[in-house]
Amino acid sequence: MIEVEHLSKTYGATPAIADITFSVEKGEILGFLGPNGAGKTTTMRILTGYLPATSGTARVAGFDVHENSLAVRQRIGYLPETPPLYTEMTVEGFLYFVARIKGVAAGDRAARVQTAITRCNLIEKRHTLIRKLSKGFRQRVGLAQAIVHDPPVIILDEPTVGLDPRQIIDVRNLIKSLAGDHTIILSTHILPEVSMTCSRVAIINKGRVVATNTPDRLMEELTGGNGYELEVEGDFAAVQERLQNLAGVKSVEAILSDPAKPNAADPLPEHHFKIRLVSQPGADEGRAIAATVVGAGLGLFEMRRTAVTLEDVFLELTMEDASADPDTPDANDADLPEPTNTQQIPEPATGGEAA
Amino acid sequence: MRIILSNILAIYRRELQTYFASPFAYAIAAIFWLLSGFFFVIILLGPDGLLVQIGQRDQAGITEPPIDVPYQFLSIFLNLLGSLALFLLPMLSMGLYSEERKRGTLELLATSPVTNWAVAVGKLLGVLTFFITITLPIVGLEAIAFSASNPPASFNVLLLGHLGLILMAAAVLSLGMFISSLTDSTILAAILTFALMMLLWITDLIASGIGGALGEAIGHLSLIKHYSDLSRGVFNSSSIVLFASYVFLGLFLTAQSVEAFRFQRS
Repeated sequence: MIEVEHLSKTYGATPAIADITFSVEKGEILGFLGPNGAGKTTTMRILTGYLPATSGTARVAGFDVHENSLAVRQRIGYLPETPPLYTEMTVEGFLYFVARIKGVAAGDRAARVQTAITRCNLIEKRHTLIRKLSKGFRQRVGLAQAIVHDPPVIILDEPTVGLDPRQIIDVRNLIKSLAGDHTIILSTHILPEVSMTCSRVAIINKGRVVATNTPDRLMEELTGGNGYELEVEGDFAAVQERLQNLAGVKSVEAILSDPAKPNAADPLPEHHFKIRLVSQPGADEGRAIAATVVGAGLGLFEMRRTAVTLEDVFLELTMEDASADPDTPDANDADLPEPTNTQQIPEPATGGEAA
Repeated sequence: MRIILSNILAIYRRELQTYFASPFAYAIAAIFWLLSGFFFVIILLGPDGLLVQIGQRDQAGITEPPIDVPYQFLSIFLNLLGSLALFLLPMLSMGLYSEERKRGTLELLATSPVTNWAVAVGKLLGVLTFFITITLPIVGLEAIAFSASNPPASFNVLLLGHLGLILMAAAVLSLGMFISSLTDSTILAAILTFALMMLLWITDLIASGIGGALGEAIGHLSLIKHYSDLSRGVFNSSSIVLFASYVFLGLFLTAQSVEAFRFQRS
């Protein structure tokens, strides 16, 4: 349905995307995953005919997006990052307008608008001015405008940004329900979103597609499953290479090396390092790691197995951004004990409410 | 072709809806009505108004040459109306594209199966319709005044004068639309449009300053010259051609600038 070959786009001298190649089959949901500024929006804009590519070709439903722009635009529903809304119109009036300019035949318009309104849960807001809608509803109107003409291809740029958790679930379910009849590309930098909604993932970093596969296969192939997190005392650099050379170790990196870092939840004592090791598939080299660390004269303070998530895949593939954002793993750790705390607290609280 | 027409119609209807739902547009209309009504009364009934002047002439016993009061009045009034419109028209055209750019809705239009031309034509027709609507009450004023006039007003002059006003408005709005498509600052669009209008307005003066063949050629570009011709009931096909050319130029440049905007946007 969508074929992109060697697509590049440069703004002046800065490349926004470079040599991107991927394809999406009919009925698939492809998730575009990447840090901000990776080139997701640029790629989507090229696909929708909003921007021309510097080189390479992109075809949607068999039509070249540049040569046959109008034919492509007819077959695409597009939700840009900020939903394009005429705020002085009512929800229904706006959707009628979009249906008209998207070339929906006059006889079908009422039914299509009705379907879009129902699908996006906008029934009670249909006569409300868009200006008066909250962010979440506006986003839904944006979605409705992307599907109102029942396009075979739907392109959504960060469709769940700015929504509350309940709305995010609604939108994800809506997107999933659209798959099959529609081919969907959505971009996001929220990792769970991809494993929840997408049948395939393309990880994009610095304008290049670094991996494409199903979310499960990506985790399997790229990291193999296990890893270890260590806290050691001593000269990390001295041991790094030796750890790296162990059979079965794929990568070694310090994830928390600066004890003075103020945002670290639990500051490490001086000369302590947290290290993340990623294993090759099927290898379990725990014994060798411990021996290496201790053998090098370093103190081993903590060593635990870590399960690999899509997050790790993402961080590994977009390494530089990982070091720029050290909070992500810690934030997850910090989240874990919290539910147990809150579970303990509600019991007397609910008792109090009941009384 | 039918698709293009239906697209133009869709854009046109949305544009009109925006004007009639916008307090800003009503404010502009109110100012326009207030000032034009004020001019109307002052020119006709004011202390130095036409009727007083005629009365003084009659008292002094001057009857030759006879004065066609409706004609006199109309050409003075339409000229003032033209100047007034020149202040207001940039305010109507300033948001045509800059608002779309600011709100991101240009991305919707640009990714819909609608050509840039259809969007530009629909928008121009929409804003022109709004302008024609706000001039309607003035036609009402004229109808009341001229129904009592003797000699009766020439219908042709009336028609040509208003046609001239509409054509000039179309030319100004079209160029203003182009300027609006260049920036996402509404205020900047208004200021630049206003500056351009002033330039076109005083082309007459510039032309006579330069003189010679070049001056004459430049003089033909003047909006005010052609407009005042029409408002005096002088029909000249070159005026129509000039206004139509301005409209076309504005549409063409708008379509091109939106296309270029797509190509260079970062």
